[in-house]
Amino acid sequence: MMMNKRTPIQSVILYTLVISLVLFCVFPFLQILSTSLKHPIDWGNPSLIPRVLHLDAYKELLGLMPAKEIDVPASVQRLLDNPALSAEKKQMLLDKFTSNDEVFAFGRYMLNTFTISFVTGIVSTFLASLAAYAIARLRFPAQSLMANGVLFVYMVGGVLLMVPLYQMSVTVGLASSASGTILSLFLIYLIQTLPVAMYMLGNYFRTIPFSLEEAAMMDGCSRVEAFWRIILPLSKPMLFTVFIYCFVIAWNEYLFASVFLKQYQDFQTLPLALQTLFTSKNAIWDRIMAASMLTLLPVIICFMLANKHLSGGLTDGGVKG
Amino acid sequence: MASSILIKNEARLGLKLVAPAIGIIGLLVIYPIFFNVYLSFFDVQLNGSKTFIGLDNYSDLLANPRYYHSIGVSIIYLLGTVIGTTVLGLAAAVLMNQEFHFRNIARGLILLPYFAPVISVVFGWQFIFDPVNGIYNHVVVDVLHLTDTRENLIGNPDSALFVVILFDIWKHFPIAYLLLLAKLQSVPKDLYEAAAIDGQNAWGRFWHVTLPELKFVIATVVLLRIIWNLNRFEDVYLLAPNVETLPIFTYYQAFAGIVDQGGAAAISVIQLLVLVGLIWLYVRKVLKW
Repeated sequence: MMMNKRTPIQSVILYTLVISLVLFCVFPFLQILSTSLKHPIDWGNPSLIPRVLHLDAYKELLGLMPAKEIDVPASVQRLLDNPALSAEKKQMLLDKFTSNDEVFAFGRYMLNTFTISFVTGIVSTFLASLAAYAIARLRFPAQSLMANGVLFVYMVGGVLLMVPLYQMSVTVGLASSASGTILSLFLIYLIQTLPVAMYMLGNYFRTIPFSLEEAAMMDGCSRVEAFWRIILPLSKPMLFTVFIYCFVIAWNEYLFASVFLKQYQDFQTLPLALQTLFTSKNAIWDRIMAASMLTLLPVIICFMLANKHLSGGLTDGGVKG
Repeated sequence: MASSILIKNEARLGLKLVAPAIGIIGLLVIYPIFFNVYLSFFDVQLNGSKTFIGLDNYSDLLANPRYYHSIGVSIIYLLGTVIGTTVLGLAAAVLMNQEFHFRNIARGLILLPYFAPVISVVFGWQFIFDPVNGIYNHVVVDVLHLTDTRENLIGNPDSALFVVILFDIWKHFPIAYLLLLAKLQSVPKDLYEAAAIDGQNAWGRFWHVTLPELKFVIATVVLLRIIWNLNRFEDVYLLAPNVETLPIFTYYQAFAGIVDQGGAAAISVIQLLVLVGLIWLYVRKVLKW
């Protein structure tokens, strides 16, 4: 900010402040990484560096652990050795001792979360680009009402709508089946992302000179073609950013997932499954932290890819956060 | 007239393009807002059965001490987080606007908390404050000897509120920082030079140049934080479900224990009215769309 050189003392103060701020921001992440790599006996050790590197938590979550030795009591073993018993019965007996309670189906939850987030991102970005183009460029009845309405809607938090949306889904009958529940959840994620996507894209489309479309239309393109061939390709970076933004909103969502998916364990998303895992069992810090790291990773990668445009896109609209 | 046909065509295309998005928003946001008001006059069960009870939900709510308690908690939460994020955001913006080595890396790193999913950081924070293994208790008890007993800060709702506020500041100051830094970079340098010639020291320049230039953005940040944090659910509930801010109280009313969906609808109606006032202020004073 200032042209003049800093004195040494000023430099020391500046760097101390910067380092403290950065540490404050990254310390929890270091803590998570460190604990995910520590053996349970090492948890009480305040140092961030594990005494021994312990990768079991990651291995278990990623399904790389060798199957556990089945511990069968002698009496049951005698039964199993009995040749008169059918193979089917033996398997049933064995299953009793190899219950899957202990295994946290991380891969499945990851896939569930990824699927719904991905679909939400694609559909929301597509619908929003159509609507944002119309609001930014075309003239039609009730246009400014819609533009302002979108802004209003985007500030009404999900908490205020959870009861009516749940009751609507019950009344229509969607809440009674797994597929209907997932559809409800997908629609809810759409409305949570559409307004902000429309807002970000609308602002971006306005920065593209109108003369480009005009020239295309002079050359015989229709309005729709001009949008498709000129505006969309020019907006690729912003479309990608908006997609990432929508993806991450869905990836993080807990409230509605907990309301709708409670009884459908197979379809739960990561936030819900992790919270359930955490509250239902004790002393599993390593697994919880490893799961946190793995949940974090895709988001960090996404944001590194989108960061350049995102910072601008976020500040332009004073986006949700 | 050819031009009127063009105008009509443009209007038709415009309506076609906005129809899907506006349709979904109308059906799943606007309609539920009114349906919510309707539900607030009924005794509503989870399975959808409703009995009309007039204003009973409202009178029950206004006689419920838990409601007032959660309003109190929400006010403390809002005060703490809004002041905290704004002040830290401003400090970070001024700091990151200086020239120093590795500035770009530092700028990237301080955005991490904002980008990280809530679910993947809350457990890290719980571990930090864990009574047995956490670094907080290690430092307070074993290193600084401030107390003899290890406290479960998150287990106790009163202290958990402050952990939640600290967590929220950590998580959301980067957005305040981004908004403020963007404005700070556009403040003309000659203003600072003029102030320096007038004999202002660094503090005086901050007070007489930076702050007046940022006034408008700071107001935006404050208003936006109030609007978002009034409805914030995940960040509070996942870190400390015992801290009953309004959204969490609503959630418990609607889906936990003795389910009272009508009562929850009534809370939402009142909260929505407050929110609409704030949004109106924001749109009037701050935004041009």
